[in-house]
Amino acid sequence: MDESEDVPKDFIKLKSEKLSVDEVSELVVSPYCGAVSVFIGTTRNNFEGKKVIHLEYEAYTSMAESEIKKICRDVRQKWPSIKHIAVHHRLGVVPITEASVIIAVSSPHRAESLEAVMYCINTLKASVPIWKKEIYEDEYSWKENKECFWANSEK
Amino acid sequence: QVSVLYFARSAELAGLRCETLRVPRQVTSLQLWEEIVRVHPRLAVIRDQVVFAVRQEYVLLGDQLLVLQPGDEVAIIPPISGG
Repeated sequence: MDESEDVPKDFIKLKSEKLSVDEVSELVVSPYCGAVSVFIGTTRNNFEGKKVIHLEYEAYTSMAESEIKKICRDVRQKWPSIKHIAVHHRLGVVPITEASVIIAVSSPHRAESLEAVMYCINTLKASVPIWKKEIYEDEYSWKENKECFWANSEK
Repeated sequence: QVSVLYFARSAELAGLRCETLRVPRQVTSLQLWEEIVRVHPRLAVIRDQVVFAVRQEYVLLGDQLLVLQPGDEVAIIPPISGG
């Protein structure tokens, strides 16, 4: 058994095509890991009584990728047993119920990957320069994550 | 001369996504904001909700002194909503 062949890797992708849970989870599978934890962020069809037609995402791509890399680095410091990390985020139009983000993490035992996945999505929402526009029937709205420290919390 | 990038609501208000601006080499982040608003007055409404990203590091609008090099990227960052 030579675990040095299975070097820990980060898989980060921003893409406009439909995301695949199979693809993202397969990226992190490892024979040395007994756990793969996956988070899928999907689009809801309503907000405050308004019907959401679809979402549109845009990103400061180069900085988004480097911020996600920082999150991966932090994850590996906090949970050193983590093997692979994959973060795929969709850009452009995302129809209702489709995934806008998929995060998968593998570790030898389940506690670390479960905690790391939660940390990844929470930190992504606080620090990665990606913006979501909700399109309603008559209007649209740029959303603001409550985790974003420079958003006004009361509007 | 720096590259200024606009995203989300700031791109809608400024009417563009990217431009080069001539700015002083040393400037506080607040002064930089004021230079940009001079060019795009409609941005004034989001002053309390944005931060900058200078060379891809977040910078609050305030007294922080920035030392800018030609070609540096400065981005206007409205409240984010990824994930």
